[in-house]
Formats: sequence, structure tokens, C-alpha cells
Amino acid sequence: MNVETLTPDARLVLAPGKPQAVTATAVSKGTGGKWIGAILPLLILAAWQAASTYQWIPPVFLPTPLRTLQSFWDLLSRQSFEVDFGISIALVSQAFVYGSLAGVALGVAAGVSKRFEYFLGPTFDTIRHVPGIAWLPLIILWLGVGAPAKILVISKTVFFPVFLNTLQGIRSVDRSYIELGQVLTLTRWQLLVKVLLPAALPNIMVSLRYGAGLAWAFVVVAEGIAGQEGLGFLIFRAQSLLLTDQLLVCMVVIGVVGFTIDRLMFLVQKRALKWKQGFEGRT
Amino acid sequence: MAHDLLIKNVSKHYVVDGVRREVLSHVDFAVKAGEFLTILGPSGCGKSTLLRLIIGLDNDYQGDIVLGGRRVVVSGLERGIVFQDHRLLPWLTLEQNIALALANVDWSADKKRSTVREHIALVGLTGYEKAYPHQLSGGMAQRAAIARGLVTQPDVLLLDEPLGALDALTRVRLQEELLRIWRAEQVSMIMVTHDIDEAIYVSNRIVVLQAHPGRVARIIDVELDGPRNRADYAFNELRREVIEAMGEEAEVHHGAALAS
Repeated sequence: MNVETLTPDARLVLAPGKPQAVTATAVSKGTGGKWIGAILPLLILAAWQAASTYQWIPPVFLPTPLRTLQSFWDLLSRQSFEVDFGISIALVSQAFVYGSLAGVALGVAAGVSKRFEYFLGPTFDTIRHVPGIAWLPLIILWLGVGAPAKILVISKTVFFPVFLNTLQGIRSVDRSYIELGQVLTLTRWQLLVKVLLPAALPNIMVSLRYGAGLAWAFVVVAEGIAGQEGLGFLIFRAQSLLLTDQLLVCMVVIGVVGFTIDRLMFLVQKRALKWKQGFEGRT
Repeated sequence: MAHDLLIKNVSKHYVVDGVRREVLSHVDFAVKAGEFLTILGPSGCGKSTLLRLIIGLDNDYQGDIVLGGRRVVVSGLERGIVFQDHRLLPWLTLEQNIALALANVDWSADKKRSTVREHIALVGLTGYEKAYPHQLSGGMAQRAAIARGLVTQPDVLLLDEPLGALDALTRVRLQEELLRIWRAEQVSMIMVTHDIDEAIYVSNRIVVLQAHPGRVARIIDVELDGPRNRADYAFNELRREVIEAMGEEAEVHHGAALAS
């Protein structure tokens, strides 16, 4: 390539063959100082330790962190905690997959066709406002207390944020991109796959991350209400038997899993949107 | 391979709040195959509207636009366009963006790949195939857009103020580049601009439009041989002629631009 023909700013932006260089430094700059996120959990742990050691709260209601850890071990070794854990995870994964697939599919359809949106609108907006909890009793009457009822209700919880954000994402695609598609004589399907979906992806990814969190939170509720297994069941059983240490174990596990799900979704989101360059915040 | 493009008595109006607003009025000229023609005019003269009609984004007009014996009503790959904003899709790499234009071209995958590679080389971006648009400078992005416009090997490439958003230095370089590409590809180019020097520098002919409603004021042949020099006498004579054709309004405009 003739160097004279390159614009001067072009040579500054990146060296040939290394287009990642710019983003790489931007990312590494953003990761500094992340450790401050550990301060608050440590403080909370210290407060917990203090409150239980000095018995500000009776041990029956607040066991020490160490006692809780022991209880975690007991649950694992003697009460097959991992089975209940696995059940909850299986439930949430299935529900998340169904709910988000349906949300993206119908969201795209409603985003592309105003008619379809008008068709679904009143029904969906009504269903959406009846919370999952309120659906559960009826669904259980129909499907029993097993996994299918819970999966259905949790899917519903995931579905709506994904559906609405996908619809919104499709609608906010820049008109100029649609014109470009027209000029390049793209078919409807090509326009959808190459232009509309990628353009809506930032919106969709945010809602998937949000939906995954919702689903996990809701699993606990659904299992607490119905059935004899899963983390939600354990937590309510622990409460009724006054096994506060087990209750705390479940709470911590739920929190840690939720945190992990969120971080995983964030990584997926980052990877899917690597073409996007936004404000990453200042350190 | 290339065909003449005929703009025959084209008029276009919008109706806004019940009021009929004429945008183009009886515009009539022909673009010869392989010619570099610029459409020059003040804002509001309908020059971008005319391009939208030619590319087929708007078919609500009177008169005829004919390419290769067929009236233009929808978009087609025998006409390419470069917009003022580069309009590369941010989620596709440079080569994917260019290849997208070939999505509905009936070539083998091999031919598509090699044609994309050739056009990236043509605009001097070899080595940046995998770069995303946000990693490119404005000038590079516009080169990529030119490559995308040309990759289908159209009869006509339309350029809608393609250099309007670039800084002065990049702009002058890209004018040079555009000429080189035009010679290499032997495609008709129709460029819309409001920069008088740019028009004289690159084109064979200049269609000067006036505004309200948009109409052809004059068509000026640019008979400058060889490399053009913005400072020489003939260039200045042409500039004077163009300004005259644009009318007093333009004179004030251009004077102000020179003064600033």
C-alpha cells in the first residue's frame, strides 16, 4: 500500500494487522481498581461476625459465619445439598432458554410488523401485569407441583423483559441502515439477519442479562411455594425448623450463584458486542 | 459494459400540510458512460433528492430516469452509492461490510472473496480487512464505503457529498484518490457536492443547479487536460464561470467561505 495515500490520522489510529490494539488498551485501563468491590462484602462479614460473637442477635436467629460454613459442609456431606442445587439450576436454565427464545422470536416479529404488535399488545400487556406468583397457583392446579409448572411460570418472567426490549431494539434501528439494505438489494431475511438483529443486539443482551437474574430470583420463590426439592424448598424448610444456619447457607449460595450468572451474562454480552465502542466509565 | 444514464425531464414535489412544494423541476441531462459528472448547487437545490431518485430509494417522480434502456424504479446493483456518512455497519468488519454488497450477486464464493480483496486494495486499505468501523478514521471509512459501492461493478457510482464530513487535508487527498479509482474502474461517477473547487478538480462536466425549485442552471464542460492545478488561470476562469452560473446567492456564499 502506498503510504502517501493514507490519511495522516489513519496511521495514528492503528497499525496494519493489529486492529485490536486500540480497544485492548482501553479495556485494560478500565480494569484497574476493581478490588474495591471486595470492601463491602468484607465489612458485612465482619459485622456478621461481631453481631453473632457478641450475641447482639441470639444465636438461634444468627449463627456465626463459621457455624454457617460447617452447616454448609453438613448439608453437602449428609443431606445431598448438591442434588437440590442441581434441580434449581436445571429449572432456571430451561426456563431461561424457553423464555428468552420466545421473547426474541416474538419481539422480532412484533418489531418488524406493527400489525402483529397491535394483535398481541392488549393481551400481552394484561398478562404481563399479573405477576408470576399469581399465575403459579392456577398453573399448579393444571400441571401439578412438578418442574413443568415452575418452568412455565419462570419462562413467563423471563419472556416479557426480553420481548419488550427486542421489540424496542428493532424499532430503534437507524433508518439509514434500512435504506442501505434497500440499496444493496437485501431480501427481508437478509435485512433481518444482517441488519436488524445485530442492531437490536445491545438491547437484547441487556434484557437477557436482566432476565437471567429475574429467573434465578424467581426459582427460589416458586420452589418455596410448591414442591419438595430445590434451594427454595430448603430455605423455607430451614425457616420452619428454625435451622437458621441452613437458611443462611441457602441465602449465600443463592446470592453467589446470582452474582456468577450476572458476570457470565456480562461476559457473553461483551463478547457479542465487541464491535461496539461505548463509554466504559472512568477509573 | 457501461451504459449512459438519462435524466429526462424529471420533476419531484412533496406535499407538506396540504401545500405543494416543488423540489425538482424539469431536470434534464445525460451522463455518458464512463464520465465523471458533478452536480453542484446550494443547499435546498434538490441535489440529494435527485440522487435518491437515481438510486431507487424514491420512485415517486415525474419524468424518466433511464439506465441501459430501463426506467429506474427500485434499487439495483448496477447502481452503487456512497453516502455522506460512510454508513458502514458497525457490527461487521471492513471486509464483511464490503462483501455484504455481494449478498445477492450470482458469483462463486471464490470470486466474491477475490473481488472484495481487490477492491480493498483499490482503495488502499489492505491490512485492515478485519478492522471494525469504529477503528477506522473518517477518511478510511469513506474509502471503505467507496469500495462497497464499487464491488458489484456497477455502471454508475453515485456519491452524495462523500467528502463533506472530512477535514480539508483528507478531503484533498481523497479527491485525488477518487480520480485514480475512477480511471482504474472506468465507471460513470455522479458526485453531488457544494464545493466548487472540488467539482472543477474532479469532473468532466458540472451540472449547476439552482434552488427553489431545484432546476438546471447550466451544464459546464471542464476542459482541463492532465493534472489540474487549483491555482492556474484556466482553473480560476472556470471557477468564475461556475459562480456566475450559481447566481448572486452563491457569490455571497462563496465570498463568505473564502473570507472565513
